[in-house]
Amino acid sequence: MVSVPSAGRVQQHISAIASGFLGDWLEHRGNALAVPMTVFADGEPLDLLNPRPAAPGSVLCLSIHGLMELESVWDFPGQPGEHYGTRLAERLGNASALKLRFNSGRPIYRNGQDLAALLERLVSNWPVPVTRLVLLGHSMGGLLIRSACHYGAENDDSWVLLNPDCVYIGSPHDGSWLAVGAHKAAGWLNRVPRDYLKVVGEVIDLRSEGIRNLSRGEVFEPGTAHQPLLAGARHYVISGLLARGEEHPVNALFGDALVHEASARGARQPGWQLTGTANFPGVDHIRLAHHSAVARQLEEWLV
Amino acid sequence: MKPTHSNAHWWLGVADLLAHGVQHGVVKLQRIHLSVADESFRVLEAIPATRHSSRIVRVCHHEISRLSYTGLSLAGRAAAGLAAGLAARAAAGHVRKHDLNMNNS
Repeated sequence: MVSVPSAGRVQQHISAIASGFLGDWLEHRGNALAVPMTVFADGEPLDLLNPRPAAPGSVLCLSIHGLMELESVWDFPGQPGEHYGTRLAERLGNASALKLRFNSGRPIYRNGQDLAALLERLVSNWPVPVTRLVLLGHSMGGLLIRSACHYGAENDDSWVLLNPDCVYIGSPHDGSWLAVGAHKAAGWLNRVPRDYLKVVGEVIDLRSEGIRNLSRGEVFEPGTAHQPLLAGARHYVISGLLARGEEHPVNALFGDALVHEASARGARQPGWQLTGTANFPGVDHIRLAHHSAVARQLEEWLV
Repeated sequence: MKPTHSNAHWWLGVADLLAHGVQHGVVKLQRIHLSVADESFRVLEAIPATRHSSRIVRVCHHEISRLSYTGLSLAGRAAAGLAAGLAARAAAGHVRKHDLNMNNS
């Protein structure tokens, strides 16, 4: 049977895409297309001041989507509501699978600050004491986790003391080749002395702060010195590749379609000590968010 | 947590975005149109037989185009202003309603 997305679902997707492209501008104008940061449990939004999920566990597993995505990107194909978080919660026991939705066009550091504050409220107000925190971030979501960890530590947030498990899935820590390419193409077109080419460059350049941060892997407020990974936390990296053969030239050119393996591993980030890394040749950027092989790897690491 | 936006508020957001798209898109379209036309007029001006008439046609063409595009851009600006105003009123009403519900609950 073919599933037909509801009008509400279509509206949410339009909001997510518009937010990704122009989220900072939409927020500035108070436009209703700007997606507010919201935590979901079993598909229902949670009130952070008084979260009442159906069965609150003491382990929280929060999944954070990427640019222009919705939390539904995590669902396994044909299994709505089934995702890495629910699999982990099942295996861990006494755990709650949560999902985050946010405006992916805002600067990453601002979303990181808000996520840190949100986690503080969530952990403080959770109906049972929280003993463990697992953060799964797909693409930009992984950069948000790094940003939130930095600001959480800076604010002495209590959730940081839980030493969270941070999983970065296809996250462009050193930037994304596509975003860098778009930036270079826009710069080149803007220098050409033909107005019609300049306009094309300006249209390419018309993108949110979130996309600009993504192109350079920026996760902290401008002017902030390089920050290490959160000490005490466990950091895992998952990357994908378009072709099954690891040495395939397509992989060298495009990585998982949007992010190169080296960028996903943060190869240019100094002093990174990762608890675990895994590469999945043949799994592209989007499928990294809902692939059975990745699910097995997560269970191996986190259960 | 912020109150979720109403459906009408969402559509006003779409209208605001589209109106802005028209307002700024028209300006960009005008620049493309005129600069592409300039390429042709430059060729015609390089030919002595068509130089004089092409200059007259160019001025007329550019002025008519600018007038048309400016009209469209102004319409887009007006629509954006209207959508933003309605959205602000809708949002204020929505928040008041939300606050009332919170106080009553």
